[in-house]
Amino acid sequence: MRAIKGVLFFCDPAVKQILLVMNEKQSFIIEDLDDHHLVIKADEEYRVRRELETELEKNTYSLD
Amino acid sequence: MSNKRAAEASSFPVKRPRKNADQDADIFIDNEDDVIPPSPPESPSLLPRGATINFSALTRRLAEEKRAKDRDVSGLTSLEMHRRQQDTLVSHIFNEQDFSWLHLKADHTSRPIWISPDDGHIILEAFSPIAEQAQDFLTAISEPVSRPAFIHEYKLTSYSLYAAVSVGLQTEDIIEVPVPDSITSFIRDQTLSYGKVKLVLKHNKYYVESSHPETLQLLLKDRVIREARLFSIQQDNSIKATTFTTSKAPVKGNLVIPGAREPKKDDSTSGRMPGSGSNAADTNLFTSVVGVESDDIEEDDDSVHAFEIHDSKIDEVKKRCDELKYPMLEEYDFRNDTVNANLDIDLKPATVIRPYQETSLSKMFGNGRARSGIIVLPCGAGKTLVGITAACTIKKSCLVLCTSSVSVMQWKQQFMQWSNITDRQIAVFTADQKEKFAGDSGIVVSTYSMVANTHNRSHESKKMMEFLTSREWGFILLDEVHVVPAAMFRRVVTTIKAHSKLGLTATLVREDDKIADLNYMIGPKLYEANWMDLAAKGHIANVQCAEVWCPMTPEFYGQYLREQSRKRMLLYCMNPNKFQACQFLIRYHEERGDKVIVFSDNVYALEAYARRLNKLYIHGGTGQVERMRILSHFQHSPKVNTIFLSKVGDTSIDLPEATCLIQISSHFGSRRQEAQRLGRILRAKRRNDEGFNAFFYSLVSKDTQEMYYSTKRQQFLIDQGYAFKVITHLDGLTEMPDLVYKTRDEQIELLQSVLLANESEAELGSDIRASEGDLAGTVTSKDFGPTKFQRTTGSLNALSGAQHMSYIEQNKSANKKLAREAAPRHKLFAKREKDKAAARKDARASGR
Repeated sequence: MRAIKGVLFFCDPAVKQILLVMNEKQSFIIEDLDDHHLVIKADEEYRVRRELETELEKNTYSLD
Repeated sequence: MSNKRAAEASSFPVKRPRKNADQDADIFIDNEDDVIPPSPPESPSLLPRGATINFSALTRRLAEEKRAKDRDVSGLTSLEMHRRQQDTLVSHIFNEQDFSWLHLKADHTSRPIWISPDDGHIILEAFSPIAEQAQDFLTAISEPVSRPAFIHEYKLTSYSLYAAVSVGLQTEDIIEVPVPDSITSFIRDQTLSYGKVKLVLKHNKYYVESSHPETLQLLLKDRVIREARLFSIQQDNSIKATTFTTSKAPVKGNLVIPGAREPKKDDSTSGRMPGSGSNAADTNLFTSVVGVESDDIEEDDDSVHAFEIHDSKIDEVKKRCDELKYPMLEEYDFRNDTVNANLDIDLKPATVIRPYQETSLSKMFGNGRARSGIIVLPCGAGKTLVGITAACTIKKSCLVLCTSSVSVMQWKQQFMQWSNITDRQIAVFTADQKEKFAGDSGIVVSTYSMVANTHNRSHESKKMMEFLTSREWGFILLDEVHVVPAAMFRRVVTTIKAHSKLGLTATLVREDDKIADLNYMIGPKLYEANWMDLAAKGHIANVQCAEVWCPMTPEFYGQYLREQSRKRMLLYCMNPNKFQACQFLIRYHEERGDKVIVFSDNVYALEAYARRLNKLYIHGGTGQVERMRILSHFQHSPKVNTIFLSKVGDTSIDLPEATCLIQISSHFGSRRQEAQRLGRILRAKRRNDEGFNAFFYSLVSKDTQEMYYSTKRQQFLIDQGYAFKVITHLDGLTEMPDLVYKTRDEQIELLQSVLLANESEAELGSDIRASEGDLAGTVTSKDFGPTKFQRTTGSLNALSGAQHMSYIEQNKSANKKLAREAAPRHKLFAKREKDKAAARKDARASGR
């Protein structure tokens, strides 16, 4: 079996849920360890971080 | 922008020698006076745009250099380093206005105020020991924008300046202190034209009046105003002209008096009134002239010129005059009004009004006349009494408009309580009751929609409306002005002829930003109370506000993310962590001896919470009897310390016992609702106890839309000076005995029941149906019809019980239990039963 480079992702349970939903659209999770830990594909890391950022930003209220 | 800045920052310090940079910075500091406000010597409007940009770019570069220099300095304490880092993180928010690199003046402590030369904003350091003196003055001349604990923001607007001038401040008084030129000219411009044009109501007709014919001429050049003018010359030729002359003839005598009286107060020349007055009146009526006859000119000071305008166009004219910088004054000289009958009304001798109520009224009656405008007081600070006192001052017929039939009755009751008015003089006009008062004058209380309604009137209400529109009102009181739709307002204002108007509100905010419309429809904001001040003086309770962040459980959050519909809302309301936080807070405050109200807009969540936590609840579907019983238990029984309320509790239920408020679900980002709910605990009975605090919690599910709404909702209260603490962790929550939904299984079960719930359950305030005559969105109605039947689609599987249908044991509604206890057997039946039992016993005994 071909080896895949992975990154250990540490997050809180809510963020993990967001990631799971994102994973349904485009798979990047290698292993779901527990509530706080995931192993994801290393080359997807940047994209995942960026999408997560925009997702979290949606619930923030700003004055403008 | 940030890229560019980064580039600059990195390139400069390297290329330039340090010493040079230092010099630059020094030079810059010399210039400081020109840069920081009070304003550059040249007014910014005169400067070409390019020049300003260059200037700021230059200063920015210098700042960068200085910053770069600072960065080199090592050996700072860790705190300083930390502060510096914070500054750099924040500075991009301020863009052009980042002045953090400027040095403070040596005497900065004695200069707590800054006036922005561009937009008339005034920033005040409220923590300065000398700030208090400035505050009174600033509230007189400007509108408070935001008043948190330390820095207050005010804004100079044309309205605030009119208000200031009409209270008696002179232009020179206002600009006594050194002020930027642009501001000075703004103030001069605005105050110059003040009071030149008046809107006067005479015998049910509106006139635009002025003692300066040039002004009227100027106004008539405007198209909008010209069109609104009533009888122009062309029309005069028609039959109308004749009818007008005849109808006017008797009027003339009367007209003289109000027309001529105006200058008396201004110039105190009252001797030769009749001649000149009637002359002026003549010109007004028959030629509706602006050009003045020759003999009039010499008496120009005394005579008043006017032209009549259409009732329906008043609004447009007012708006237009505002735009032309000739705002119309609406003042009512009620003491000298002999046309309208006086109303014999006075406050009861025992009634005492509070100092701030007096202040607000003194703004209204500042020069002996009644000025139209809006008074803003917090909920629970006695707005009603202000309105009643104003009515007692004017002593003319008065029309009170409120938002719902419930508040109609409340107003009537308050009038009876505070003033000596008799039952015969006060009438109610609602869908159910149509009364007229006896005598020439009196008070009518009604709702906006009853008066503004244009279609489908019953015969009775038609007659009542004729009664309302046919007469002149001395005073019209508008309750909760912020909720009334502009169109409805316009209809009210144009159909009812009133000399003066007073709007009352607690929250001068609208989600649709239509507040500016109120300015010309009613008048300027006369007074706005400082919430913090009132709290400090004990008129309203001190409130600690907190936002409690409850993390979503993974299961709930997973569903939340997948759900697109309105059910999302249900999911974040029913979050088990929120449940626990709610339970914890209730228990904590009950143990402290607080009386707790829990608010939920969502009825499904309300019932679920109340049942699970075994508390009483009231929502729209709760019957009147049950409701009364629950409320009286909450007020008097030491065993009932918590009740759950739906939207019905927002306004109509008055509970001075409550000292703690928790909200678990709310109406999106409504700032008004937040303020209204806070108002529920502001009038807490125990507010004057030593060190007493009321508590206001909002429970928010983390990482959901609720966070967004919650922040938005708080904006209004923050501007009033409230600070929201964020609580991310409740200490001792996990150790609490019999905590609900502790295990994952229970949580999943809850999730399942939420998912099974109908979509319609997610709707907010679905339990409330307004009765006829209530304004939409001002839920205060007490008449709730039977619940409607609903048709839903479901599979046969589900109906036969094959789909997750299982036996569930639920907590019974605590309401039901209460009903059983509270209804003992009637004596008659109890006695009969006893007799029966005794008879049976006898029968048995004798049978043996």
